[in-house]
Amino acid sequence: MDRKQLERWLAEEEGGHDDAADAAFAQLFTAMPRLEPRPAFVEQAVAAAWQWRARRRRLVAFGWAAAAVLVAAGALAAYLASPTLAPPFIKVLAFVSGRAVPWFVSYATVAMSSWLTLVHVGGVIASALVTPARVAALVGVELFGLLAFFALQRIAGAGRFGDAQV
Amino acid sequence: MSVAASDAELARDALAGSEAAYRELVTRYATPAVNFIFRFVRDRALAEDLAQEGFLRVYQRLNTFDPSRRFSSWFFQVLRNITIDYLRVNRLPTSSLDELAEEGNQGAAVDRESASPEQIAGQRELAAAMSAALARIRPEYREVVVLRYQEGLTQPEIAEILGLPSGTVKTYLHRARKELAGILAEQGWGPATETLSSEVP
Repeated sequence: MDRKQLERWLAEEEGGHDDAADAAFAQLFTAMPRLEPRPAFVEQAVAAAWQWRARRRRLVAFGWAAAAVLVAAGALAAYLASPTLAPPFIKVLAFVSGRAVPWFVSYATVAMSSWLTLVHVGGVIASALVTPARVAALVGVELFGLLAFFALQRIAGAGRFGDAQV
Repeated sequence: MSVAASDAELARDALAGSEAAYRELVTRYATPAVNFIFRFVRDRALAEDLAQEGFLRVYQRLNTFDPSRRFSSWFFQVLRNITIDYLRVNRLPTSSLDELAEEGNQGAAVDRESASPEQIAGQRELAAAMSAALARIRPEYREVVVLRYQEGLTQPEIAEILGLPSGTVKTYLHRARKELAGILAEQGWGPATETLSSEVP
């Protein structure tokens, strides 16, 4: 990195030769000092990754073992308890489903008819209120909102590195 | 493992459990990673810590790396996210220009064998001035400058990393160089100053 390289770049920049300025600046910047990480950097990074890998493998192995134990315990419990538990369980299931299913069907029917009534009322009100001018105004407001949201996003994006500024 | 293995091959081998492949990948990218982050946090130890975090995150997400993409683009994207996350949470202390110039002096790579002491001092001074100027430009400009000129990435690669159109990257580079030239000229590094001083008898 020397003064001549700097001057060449500045001259190209001054002359408006974008490609030449780009090449001259690249040459200048290549000679910028670079930090070398401390000698243990690589070993530390590898060790951290391999520790994480070992931990993850242990977790996965533990997960599989726990799942296998649970399945085996469940199967054993089902096998041992089935003669005594199965008939009452099936009776309870039949009782509950016999009461619940008709109730659910009737409830859904009532809910559906209420909803359809609301839809009808909403449709009547909307047809009374909607005019081309009002629709245009509504669309305009929505577009304005979208643009404002987009602008805010751009501003927030520009400020992401704000703390790094001197 | 071949010495000339590509980054994508190393990533694949590392994912398959090859520690040597991962070590080679870290060796290749350690210096670029630390230097990239350093330009934003201006603290060597912090840059190394964040780079360590970056390498760990890269390893944890190696299974999401698409080998059809360039590894360097993906890698710098991860580093950038880590840097942004850090800067969002932590406010950096405001540095004076003297401090920035001092940072620019860290590890100044000057050609000591062929240069005179005056030339070495001049090169160091220029490197420090450039480093300080770089710290003064807008962060998004600094980002493209570092990726383009320090890490040697192409404009489409930078566009991919930053999620910007290629044309915007080109514009940012152009404006960044203009701003840097302006700052350096302000500080007396411009050719006009040189000409004037050389005209003085």
